[in-house]
Amino acid sequence: MDSDCLSLLPAVCLVLADPKQAPPDDTSLEKLLDWFKELHSQSNGQVLLQDQPCLLEFISSVCTSETTDPAILSFTLKLTGLLAATKQGFHLLEEGGLLLCAFEREACYVCDLWEDASVRSGWLQGLLNMLKHQKSLDFICRNGLIKVVLQLQNDRSLFVASLANQLLVHILNFLTSSSTTNGSDAVGSSVSSLRSDWVSVSSEIMNAVVEALSSEDHPQVLRGLRLLSLVLSQCGEPIRSMLWKDVLVPLEVLIKRGSESLTQTLMTVLQAADTSARPVEELLEAMLGDGNRKECFQCAALVVKLEKCPEVSKRKATGIILLPLQCVSTQPQTEIETYLVLNEQLSQKASCISLLMQSLSSLAELAHRKFLFEDISIHSITSSVVWLLRMCSGQCPSSLLRINASIHLIGCCKVQRCGLDTLGALSVYEENVDLRKDIFGVLLDYLQSPDSHATVLKKTFQAAVRWIAVCSPFPDLLQFISHDLFPVLEKRMCDLRWEVRDSTLEFITQLTTALNGNSGFTEALHTSGMVSVLLSSLADTEGYVRASAVAAVGEAVTASFHHAATERNSSLLEKALTQMMIALSQDTEGFPRRAVVKAFTSWLKGSHPVTALESSLSSVLSLGGNDFDWEVKMHTLELAEVLMEKTLTCCPYIVQNVDFSEKTRLTQALSRLKDYGLFDLLFNSLLDCDRPVCEKACALLVRLRTLTAETADLDHSALVLNVCGNRWGDEVQSRYLNKQQA
Amino acid sequence: MRVCSELNDTHGPTAEEKTSVPNVSRVVASQKTRKHMKLYCLSGHPTLPCNVLKFKSTTIMLDCGLDTTAALYFLPLPLVHSPRLSKLPGWVSKDGAVNLEKELKECSGRVFVDSQPEFCLPEKELLDLSTIDVILISNYHCMMALPYITEHTGFTGTVYATEPTLQIGRLLMEELVTFMERVPKAQAATCWKNKEIQRLLPGPLKDAVDVWSWRKCYSVQEVNSALSKVQLVGYSQKELFGAVQVTPLSSGYSLGSSNWIIQSHYEKVSYVSGSSLLTTHPQPMEQSSLKNSDVLILTGLTQIPTANPDGMLGEFCSNLAMTIRAGGNVLVPCYSSGVIYDLLECLYQFMDSANLGSTPFYFISPVANSSLEFSQIFAEWLCQNKQSKVYLPEPPFPHAELIQTNKLKHYPSIHGDFSSEFRQPCVVFTGHPSLRFGDVVHFMELWGKSSLNTIIFTEPDFSYLDALAPYQPLAMKCVYCPIDTRLNFHQVSKLLKDIQPLHVVCPEPYTQPPPAQPHRSDLMLELQPPPMAYRRCSVLGLPFRRRYERIHLLPELARSLVPSEIKAGVSVATVSAVLQSKDNKHVLQPVPKPAPVPPSKKRKRVTEEPPEVLNPKPLLSGAVPLEPFLAMLHKNGITEVKVEETADGHILHLQTEDVLIQLEEDATHIICDNNEPLRTALRDLVLRFLQKL
Repeated sequence: MDSDCLSLLPAVCLVLADPKQAPPDDTSLEKLLDWFKELHSQSNGQVLLQDQPCLLEFISSVCTSETTDPAILSFTLKLTGLLAATKQGFHLLEEGGLLLCAFEREACYVCDLWEDASVRSGWLQGLLNMLKHQKSLDFICRNGLIKVVLQLQNDRSLFVASLANQLLVHILNFLTSSSTTNGSDAVGSSVSSLRSDWVSVSSEIMNAVVEALSSEDHPQVLRGLRLLSLVLSQCGEPIRSMLWKDVLVPLEVLIKRGSESLTQTLMTVLQAADTSARPVEELLEAMLGDGNRKECFQCAALVVKLEKCPEVSKRKATGIILLPLQCVSTQPQTEIETYLVLNEQLSQKASCISLLMQSLSSLAELAHRKFLFEDISIHSITSSVVWLLRMCSGQCPSSLLRINASIHLIGCCKVQRCGLDTLGALSVYEENVDLRKDIFGVLLDYLQSPDSHATVLKKTFQAAVRWIAVCSPFPDLLQFISHDLFPVLEKRMCDLRWEVRDSTLEFITQLTTALNGNSGFTEALHTSGMVSVLLSSLADTEGYVRASAVAAVGEAVTASFHHAATERNSSLLEKALTQMMIALSQDTEGFPRRAVVKAFTSWLKGSHPVTALESSLSSVLSLGGNDFDWEVKMHTLELAEVLMEKTLTCCPYIVQNVDFSEKTRLTQALSRLKDYGLFDLLFNSLLDCDRPVCEKACALLVRLRTLTAETADLDHSALVLNVCGNRWGDEVQSRYLNKQQA
Repeated sequence: MRVCSELNDTHGPTAEEKTSVPNVSRVVASQKTRKHMKLYCLSGHPTLPCNVLKFKSTTIMLDCGLDTTAALYFLPLPLVHSPRLSKLPGWVSKDGAVNLEKELKECSGRVFVDSQPEFCLPEKELLDLSTIDVILISNYHCMMALPYITEHTGFTGTVYATEPTLQIGRLLMEELVTFMERVPKAQAATCWKNKEIQRLLPGPLKDAVDVWSWRKCYSVQEVNSALSKVQLVGYSQKELFGAVQVTPLSSGYSLGSSNWIIQSHYEKVSYVSGSSLLTTHPQPMEQSSLKNSDVLILTGLTQIPTANPDGMLGEFCSNLAMTIRAGGNVLVPCYSSGVIYDLLECLYQFMDSANLGSTPFYFISPVANSSLEFSQIFAEWLCQNKQSKVYLPEPPFPHAELIQTNKLKHYPSIHGDFSSEFRQPCVVFTGHPSLRFGDVVHFMELWGKSSLNTIIFTEPDFSYLDALAPYQPLAMKCVYCPIDTRLNFHQVSKLLKDIQPLHVVCPEPYTQPPPAQPHRSDLMLELQPPPMAYRRCSVLGLPFRRRYERIHLLPELARSLVPSEIKAGVSVATVSAVLQSKDNKHVLQPVPKPAPVPPSKKRKRVTEEPPEVLNPKPLLSGAVPLEPFLAMLHKNGITEVKVEETADGHILHLQTEDVLIQLEEDATHIICDNNEPLRTALRDLVLRFLQKL
């Protein structure tokens, strides 16, 4: 194909270079460039330019024309860079004077086209493409292009500025890598290992960074910091240490000056620097300050998230980031009075909410890593979160008398959601189980409150599942579930909002899974009437809710398998099976039907045989296989897979007879599978219009074939004919033909 | 042409030895009375207000709400003979000293009055109710005491209300009367009210206040007579006695509900009663006209500030669905108009989605039919969304469809058709929310024993625990979902920030957090300046003075004026005229020329004689500058002047002449004994610095 395209290339070049022709849109130019890239990568040393002289003419005509379209020029610059990436290509282009023509400093300025951001971006991208060998770097240095790149770092277009930064980093990287490969010194060599003319280049760039950091102009400082963080994270030695040494002083000045808008970028720089190094620790220390500056909270939140961070700094940051939470929700401490800035921030609604959210999410982050708190007990932290959640629902006053934060917080969904997430995360600390009464109390309040937003309820459920899982060994948990939780859940399943009904059902499913095997829970599920509520939810008007109800019922049935087959259990199974079969055959929406098949699969996977399901299996396979929703078909194939596994490996439904030979056993198993209609399903699915369905069916058939092949004493032809009345290949073919005809 | 006259004693910068007062001042002086506006608070109930505003020469009653919570002290009135209630033991004090077996019955550990329920009326002794000129009604819940006020008090004024307020108010009153008259009680209990006896009664009867002012319900005749005094108003201005204008504004709370603006030319009082910013069925609240009020009287905020109506509606629906699914019945004690329309609309959408489509709803009230029908015909008073439905072939409220499809059935009472068509499980909406009278009493007796049934309280007016007290022990589930759509504190503080009244007057409970939640400082009004709080029987002098009055000049008088410019853009003229005040309108007329006295008439009619006309002296304006004045004195040979600075200006002591000249901001006095020529000379020197009119 490439050769066909190449033959068209001269004509394409002519069209592109023709200023009278309207330029093609950016996308096609990008695609063309991609094609060149691919060609270039496959060229194996062959030089495209030699074979395609039209490219040289094209570049020359575009770069010298004064009426070129900016998009074409930008494309040409990128292309030129790409072509110059090999030494031979570079040589050819330089020989023709085309490189200078395209990238020369003066050439850039004289032309009005430079005003167009796409041209500047193309110019930078071209240089970036070219920078694969020393000669290209020489070219850049020799022609003073570094200065232009440094200027473009301040470009009004964000894309251009970011590209300029990338190019500068690339140049610095290239300087070090070329010198270490060429030079005799090993890695870690000092600046002397750089070629003398390159030393000036690196110092030019680094001086620019230092200058930017020392500037009074805020945007310039910001740009300097961005480049600095890029260099620190992407460049190797000795550039890193050289630059770090130079920027330390201006960085210190910046941090001391303290500006909230720089915090994030400064933190990125510190993160990129080796955080374990002594100066970084000091800088972090300085940024955190004494906890009495506006920006220290944001900084602390970022420090908490740092992966590698000096322990001292992390402890300090943790102390600071917890302050807002403690300030609002614990007893007043005299020392808190000294945090004037914090008091002021907490008295304003917007900053109060944002500070508390930072505090809570940092706490969740710490809990996620199971951070060991030293100065403060995890009990008191957890109690603070509980207190804050109570405050958000209007039940508690804020403790610090001077700040009436509760006015801002009552009914504030953001803080509620964040607080509930954090409360859930705090379940990892075992010592917190002592607080379970308070925790379940506040969670129950949220579940009961008529004003709880649907998303808040969802978070409450998530937190509740985590805590219930942790507290499952405690006997009082069951009391809480059956006396307090179930009545609320029952009401929530009748909620006006389908989202709430849905998340309630999801929660019940998770709860049943988490307490799987807990006989008390299963008993409560039945005696409290929850099961009948679940069954009635199968008829909800909303498809998603029906799907969740199916999952919940499925899980409730699974839970009942663990206990003696009572009349109650079999009646539940019977009711569930009937309603789920109705859903599979009649539900107008895909989600409930998918859920039904998934539930059956999970029943089948379980260690307890579900005899009642066996009689319905062939209907399930046939209904599921003929469903018009491809996901239902996929789930049905998954069910078929489990069925195959169960039937072929242990045949739970057959009384094992030791006298049976392997052959008889397999034949019987296959014959059972045939009775279920499994082969019909597989053969039909093989020709399905949805590719994943075909692939899955194919994989299952292949597995079947392998299995039969492995059984050495099996007479294949007999078995196959016996099972299907036809050979597989013929079977597939005949079905295919039938389908074609239909 | 109009001029303003100040009612205050304000001085212009004129300075002259006070020898005469020009006529114009004299005319204005007759109007110089410092007038305070007064507010008499006849009810302390924040949502059932009854206040009287004395403004200019009018006496305006703002709402007359009836506090029916007193009914909770009484035994329920069963529609069908109740063996339980009829067999209750009478109450005798422990020592047997007080025996009120006939009047008080013990029921479920509490003592109730066995008599027709009574209500607590607005205070009648605070001012003479016969002096009330008009009563402004803001919504149908706030007019239930009207017959008590307009009948038997000598009231001769007019009542202003919108049409839906009148019609639905009439329904509610008729319903109340029917509830009472259907179950007549032979005698009224009064002995227990005796102070000495009441002291000995168990709580909460012991603590009931003002029991002697409680009255039993009015009659249909009184309702008709009271409502015949109502004059209908639309949302447009009405003038009262030429003195003030009253304007109802849509308040968004119920059909035809309104806030009122009472204003004169220079003063504006806004009266905000039950208002709502939620999108329910009524026309939305008009807010901008409330701007620039001198005083805003704020009543009728939500009674349950912690219950958000949306959440409560959700709670209502889920509890209802839960009960029906479990095979139980739902009882909703409610008023026959108002939130019930929204409840029905919400259920209309919910029942199908909750798979409860076949459950019947029953609405039982003597006025059920009229209430459902009226709501459909007041199209112009509905929200935009419902108004637009008038042009479609569908009624504004979906309850019409519920009726058509037989899902909602309404009956005047449990007797008659209802008993034969009644099917369970069902949802019954019926009154009265106090559970003391009305058909609801029957359902409480019928369904109270089964835990499958649920009673859902949606009206916020009564404590549900008190309402349920005579039905204990109760097996049925109780759910409290008070739906109060009136403004909450958050909304009202936003509103006040927006409309910026100079002063706010409100019931006392709004100035502190709810007693049950002392930490909720967000549930109170925090304003600068702090609001003026009132309670029952307060008389408030409203904190602003009327300063100006509008006076009209007749054209011929205006023509005779000679304005002279005292500074750029300000011209002043003196007026000599006769001020005529009639019907609160003030007109300056030319002074009639004295008619030649006919010699034949012997008798002189003193009263009709026009006032004597004097030639007015010119008015002066300006200030006497100290330094130039001293220079002027020096020029005129007065050299020895001692100047002393005072709080108001300067005192000049002419030592040789022994004369004192007091130069003050608004007056100049020359004190000089027995030297008229010198006084005149000095006066002329002063006059040189002043402008004459």
